[in-house]
Amino acid sequence: MMELEALQAVWPQLRALGASLIAISPQLGQYGRAARRRAKLEFDVLTDVHLRVAEAFGLAFTLPPDLKQLYAAFGNTLDKFHDEPDFRLPMPARYVVGQDGRIRAADVNPDYTSRPEPEDTVAVVRQLQTPGSKATRSKATS
Amino acid sequence: MSLQRELDAFKAAFESGGPPYNVSRERIEIMHRATEELRRSGLAERALKVGDLAPTFELDNQDGQLVRSVDLLAEGPLVITFFRGHW
Repeated sequence: MMELEALQAVWPQLRALGASLIAISPQLGQYGRAARRRAKLEFDVLTDVHLRVAEAFGLAFTLPPDLKQLYAAFGNTLDKFHDEPDFRLPMPARYVVGQDGRIRAADVNPDYTSRPEPEDTVAVVRQLQTPGSKATRSKATS
Repeated sequence: MSLQRELDAFKAAFESGGPPYNVSRERIEIMHRATEELRRSGLAERALKVGDLAPTFELDNQDGQLVRSVDLLAEGPLVITFFRGHW
């Protein structure tokens, strides 16, 4: 949630640059709605039922049994929040996708306490949206 | 405060075992082991990276409205954050 709140802080900047911002989580709609309200998020929180999109990005993993038990002891019943009996989760990840559909920035980390700054993401978007730089970038990658 | 500093402060408080989280050493060890296993699995290195084509998707938002990645990309660049849940 800390990351979502930090992204909310730069959401006006992203929007001013013409970019969209979305959060994707396996949690069911009603939980996403509650989380969004509590953290005062203005961007959409999408429900990735059974982690189909997380899988497509290569982010889905299954919790080890001892951690599964631990979460259950904390009262985190993922099968209820996610309708996900296998207790799978997405690795924390932030992507910037260009209008051509290519990934322009990717930050994936197994440790959810290690995340990139939102300002770094704004900088990537700004560079994409600066006239001239897009052509240079796509030339470099073609 | 930067996001990473905020996360560092949370981690230090959580792993101290003290209030407000009051987590036992044993539980912290389980969490560390799980993160380490995930790191060793190499999954992060195999995930999509810069230069790859992003998969297109259609998902419901919090109000049950369908959001299509192609519609968002027609407007401009798209920032996506994947998170496990609010819990």
